[in-house]
Amino acid sequence: MKYFVRIGDTELEVELVERLGELLVAVEGESLAIEYEPVDALGQVGILTDGMSFGASVEGDGERVAVTIAGHTYHVEIEDERERAAHAAERRATGSGGTITSVMPGVVVALLVRPGQEVAEGEPLLILEAMKMQNEIAAPGAGVVTTLHIEQGRSVGTGDKLVTLRDLEA
Amino acid sequence: MFRRILVANRGEIALRVIRTAREMGVETVAVYSEFDRLALHTRLADRAVALGGSLPSESYLVGEKIIEAALASDAEAVHPGYGFLAENAAFARAVTDAGLSWIGPPPDAIAVMGDKIESRRAMQAAGVPVVPGLVDPIDDAEAVVVAAEEIGFPIALKAAAGGGGEGIRIVREPSEIAVAFRTASGEASSAFGDGRLYMERYVERARHVELQVLFDHHGGAVHFGERECSIQRRHQKLIEECPAVVVDEGLRERMGAVALQAGHAVDYQGAGTVEFLFCEGEYFFLEMNTRLQVEHPVTEMVTGVDLVREQLRVACGEEIGYGQADVVMRGHAFEVRVNAEDPASGFLPSTGTVKNLRLPGGPWVRVDSALYRGMEVGLNYDPLLAKVVVWGEDRAVAIERMRRALAELNVGGVRTSVPAALVVLDQSAFRAGEFDTSFLEGLDLSQPHGGRVELAVAIAAVHRHTAARRQALGADRGDRSGWVARNRMDRNWPR
Repeated sequence: MKYFVRIGDTELEVELVERLGELLVAVEGESLAIEYEPVDALGQVGILTDGMSFGASVEGDGERVAVTIAGHTYHVEIEDERERAAHAAERRATGSGGTITSVMPGVVVALLVRPGQEVAEGEPLLILEAMKMQNEIAAPGAGVVTTLHIEQGRSVGTGDKLVTLRDLEA
Repeated sequence: MFRRILVANRGEIALRVIRTAREMGVETVAVYSEFDRLALHTRLADRAVALGGSLPSESYLVGEKIIEAALASDAEAVHPGYGFLAENAAFARAVTDAGLSWIGPPPDAIAVMGDKIESRRAMQAAGVPVVPGLVDPIDDAEAVVVAAEEIGFPIALKAAAGGGGEGIRIVREPSEIAVAFRTASGEASSAFGDGRLYMERYVERARHVELQVLFDHHGGAVHFGERECSIQRRHQKLIEECPAVVVDEGLRERMGAVALQAGHAVDYQGAGTVEFLFCEGEYFFLEMNTRLQVEHPVTEMVTGVDLVREQLRVACGEEIGYGQADVVMRGHAFEVRVNAEDPASGFLPSTGTVKNLRLPGGPWVRVDSALYRGMEVGLNYDPLLAKVVVWGEDRAVAIERMRRALAELNVGGVRTSVPAALVVLDQSAFRAGEFDTSFLEGLDLSQPHGGRVELAVAIAAVHRHTAARRQALGADRGDRSGWVARNRMDRNWPR
């Protein structure tokens, strides 16, 4: 089984093979001896690798996983081969322009644009308030506002759609 | 001493007050919003009164409900903690008007120090040094453009009624004024109902040094030395320490005297903090926080004084009972704030359920935490989840102790500020004491630190694989099957 793991700006390929009740692990083709024992059902795991011991912890299922080793948390995104293909197809479909999503949960305190309005790169589209701070969400590039997915005063979660822009040339 | 007090707060600070009160034989009454029915402060107090509502504006910010709860539960005094109504002069007045004691400074002192303009005037009159800037608040961007020519860039725009970093914007050139004014004024309006701003010169490469002070009702006053809180972003502190690297004994004596002067000028009573901008030996009054500070434990670790105990003693009329010479600072302490936020993406707030939790321990490690397994971290409350505080005989020992403690800590289910603190503690400039308030913002926190990327990636993949396998097999949810992977089959590795 192949997994593609994104961490920060890099992507590493991890291959797992079950054989005779054991799991073979290779990161970027390099075999890694690892003993992985869950301590509880909450995420504490005991790790032994290359003679070293770690009381690590791991949370999350599916595509987003957080691993904490010695206080440092490594946030990774994992795709298997099937998911990787699906995501690539998705990216091809959207092209440039596209929909701006919220990178944090918050409340839309002001909407500064209307559908049909032309906006320049960097022009503020709306103000999102989170943790008592107001953040201007700016247009990533020049375009025309096609859809507002939100209303003033509405709460949004991480990943929620905010505004869709269409490329000026399109 | 009081027989019973109400703690008008939540989170780690409510627990902090409850703990000392219990040690003093003082009963505590917790108040809680619906969201906090199972919070630790609700469970650990002697009594608990529901305020109803889930938002702060329906619960912890409603003075009438809190006073009603205090009277109904027969409390004699109210401790406000920090945040919420702690620096609300009208609430302090309402508490005393209801016949209760207020564990904090007199309402008039709160009012003067809570207003940036008034406090600046009062401090200038009292001979306390202040930063160059306009004394009067400004309500339109045009006026900022005009005044900026006299004061010079960069300029800080701050809410006239603000505090804690809300509504503050730094402007480096005239073209930035319009946007900065609009957002800062908007934040100030929504947070305080007052969109007026105060402008002053932004002192660059400044360090944040603050003095802990205590005044009793009999004219007695002492200071407990300084704390340095320069490791911050967006004016929210991440790491605090006591003492400050840049303050020696002589300077401490002088700054302490100035801080007491500042308090005396407003007839201060109780515990408070006088904040200074510190730049190359010069220091300017920033503001006075008329309450207990988040970072007060570092002072407690170094002086051996329980500041909450002192607050309670002074509030019920006792004299301080010792002099400045009796305050002895020993060793060095650090505090790291465990906030629910993601350092890798600009410290954006993080929400979730804390399922997995491991707190540090061991010698000279103190954890002031409101965390528990199953706790929901939402957006409606302060992101501070816990504080890790350590003491060491000197700064270098304390730094290593903090790194050790943070390596033991694990808060699963939300992202926290801890990895950022570990990066700071690792920097040679920080370890040499060479930093200012822009230090944290200058670090690249977008990439993983810690040097165990391959191992982390392998663990993540095994975790995912195990979860998928368990699901496929329909195994028990509690199943804890482990894996042993060996590399003895290397030669047979399928390529």
